Amino acid sequence: MRKLKINVNKVSKKFGDKVVLNKLDLKVYESESLAIIGESGSGKSVLTKCIDGLLSFDTGTISFDKIINIKDLSFLKMNKYMSKFGILFQNAALFDSLSIKENLMFANKSENFSDILDEVSLPKSILQEFPSNLSIGVQKRIGLARAILQNPEILILDEPTTGLDPIIGKQINLLIKGLVKKKKITTITVTHDMESVYEFSDYTAFIKKGKISWYGKSKDINKKGNLSLSNFVKGIN
Amino acid sequence: MNIIFKIGKIFFGIFSSVGEIVLFFFDCVKYLILDKFYPKIFIQHLIKIGYNSLPVVGLTSIFTGMVLALQSYTGFSRFSAESAIPNVVVLSITRELAPVLAGLMVAGRSGAAIAAEIGTMKVTEQIDALKTLSTNPYNYLFIPRILAGIVSLPFLVFVGDIIGVFGGYLICTEVLNFNPVVYLQNTYNFVQFLDVFSGLVKACVFGFIISLMGCYHGYNAKGGAQGVGLSTTYSVVSSSILILLTNYILTSFFFDL
Repeated sequence: MRKLKINVNKVSKKFGDKVVLNKLDLKVYESESLAIIGESGSGKSVLTKCIDGLLSFDTGTISFDKIINIKDLSFLKMNKYMSKFGILFQNAALFDSLSIKENLMFANKSENFSDILDEVSLPKSILQEFPSNLSIGVQKRIGLARAILQNPEILILDEPTTGLDPIIGKQINLLIKGLVKKKKITTITVTHDMESVYEFSDYTAFIKKGKISWYGKSKDINKKGNLSLSNFVKGIN
Repeated sequence: MNIIFKIGKIFFGIFSSVGEIVLFFFDCVKYLILDKFYPKIFIQHLIKIGYNSLPVVGLTSIFTGMVLALQSYTGFSRFSAESAIPNVVVLSITRELAPVLAGLMVAGRSGAAIAAEIGTMKVTEQIDALKTLSTNPYNYLFIPRILAGIVSLPFLVFVGDIIGVFGGYLICTEVLNFNPVVYLQNTYNFVQFLDVFSGLVKACVFGFIISLMGCYHGYNAKGGAQGVGLSTTYSVVSSSILILLTNYILTSFFFDL
């Protein structure tokens, strides 16, 4: 029995005159991994930012467990709500004035970070480094470690393999697959990379013109007849 | 019609920006009361804005004092009023030149750095990351910087006052052959508490303006490197204009006292 975690109901978002999300509906279920795919500028990242509270939306509702509409949350409750999410940002978004240890301490002060560094396959010596000295692949691993250290209810991965070469991209995909399956965290992944979709996503939502154009099991992407989705997948491959 | 529309748009833009800055400031006050304060970050910025700006403010002040002494001599010697030079130097430095010049120098140095740092954090999603890590950017980034600006500028200006007066003393005693004891006595006898105090009050206001503008423009940076560059420019330009404007308002206020 699937348990509903997040319900996005007729959510719209405009930037000036440009409609990015147009009465979009989406359901995210507990302990499942959902991939959101679509062309650049189709509103994938905007959708996740509306879900995690980083962006406000114009109309519609987003409910999360017992919260009826996150839009109605006060400032302090919104802060608490945001802490339910662990986010790996597109460019890792590590605080560049702080060491890796200080970055990780933002997420959890009580850890000694040995276990989490093992999980993301990094040596403990990296704790003294600064983000600017590290490659983007390593920064993304640290970003992932920081997101997981928060013990989030939802893990959001924004383009986890963008900007990485295919070998590092595959390593990151396998790493995420291992962590997602082991920890059974509800995961939302925004991606262009079909490897990520096939590797660790149970379900996939294809977003087009601000709406969900296709939703189903990731393994069924190539079976079902949706011309836009087929073109998108072919275009990428 | 098109021209009227454009003029109207510019004015609406200015009013809307002023409104946004005021709301940004009120948010800072609100979160200072409601949320956590980071003393360690505050001290770090006190050092960055205050202590690290000492050389540039010191240099500006000493040369200003020296030039002021020379220029005053040129004018006053024409009607044999050279003895008034110490008075003019101390009054100009404490009431006007030290606060304004220190304000402008710190706006260029620290205000730009604040805008660039926060702007970069904004465009690289570091501020979003802070929010999801249960850290309010107002409390972690903006409030410590604004308070550090308010506290450190008076300190810088006070040091600038002393160095500026010393610059005038140096020129008068070494170049213009004034008696050092008489010069210092004239300075000491002439200067009043209000002269120094008004300069320090101005410094507080300028420190507030510089750090507020740096934080506001940095937080509203958009796009990539170009957006960060623009936010830095806006920060320095708006701080400089506001310093000159508020300087007039404060001078008028102290003039009536």
